[in-house]
Amino acid sequence: MIILNSVDELLAHIKDVQLDVINLSNESLLKMSDFIEKNSIEIDDDLSTALQYQDIITQQLTASIEAIESTQQSMQRFNYAYASNEDLATQSMKKLQDNLKVTLEDAKEKKKRFSGKTSNDDVEADEIEFF
Amino acid sequence: MPLVIFVDDSETALASTRMVTNSMPIEVKQYTQAQVALAEIQAGMTPDLIITDLNMPVMNGFEFLQGLRAVPATQRTPCLMLTTETKAELKQQGKALGLTGWIVKPFNPAQLKQAITRVLRLPA
Repeated sequence: MIILNSVDELLAHIKDVQLDVINLSNESLLKMSDFIEKNSIEIDDDLSTALQYQDIITQQLTASIEAIESTQQSMQRFNYAYASNEDLATQSMKKLQDNLKVTLEDAKEKKKRFSGKTSNDDVEADEIEFF
Repeated sequence: MPLVIFVDDSETALASTRMVTNSMPIEVKQYTQAQVALAEIQAGMTPDLIITDLNMPVMNGFEFLQGLRAVPATQRTPCLMLTTETKAELKQQGKALGLTGWIVKPFNPAQLKQAITRVLRLPA
């Protein structure tokens, strides 16, 4: 379906942008940490936490890239089924819908998992758990 | 000086821990691949403390921990998980594998220093 090809191209573009953001923020953080270490600058707790946000940003964007790739694969499977037998189109559409639901749930779960203390209300601040 | 190894696939996460620990009386080695750290341990490296991330490609933190426990020299070496994960089931899984403790990212620098000091019994 032509419309899905356009959506696929748009998703590919979004994925590229996200990868660029990951690489740029990574490079930025490493340059800052190099500067801090070379100049023996003592960092406080707030700055340390802020610097760690980059890692969380990377994990979040990586998880959303995985969701995009999963969506693209589902659309490709639908496109293939649709092209090979139009009678199967309705059935394939249902499968596509189901796959997209699974992808969305998985992406939401990862968003929560990869947030750490930045958004999990049930995590007690600064607590280290010893077993 | 006691040897502490950090394992995290994120170079920026390792940079954050380095900035916090560089004033401590410890030797630090850092790895972006758990399998490389494990190979060095299997070859004879004996860290006094291991701090590892959980979600990593190729070998995750639990697989790494299982590998460590299979090496006689590191069967009882303290190991802390430093991760964004907060699920109780995962903590239980870590505990069952012999994990010493669980730290959620982003970590508080003072708390991380205290944890290392406590586990290694360094002078406060």
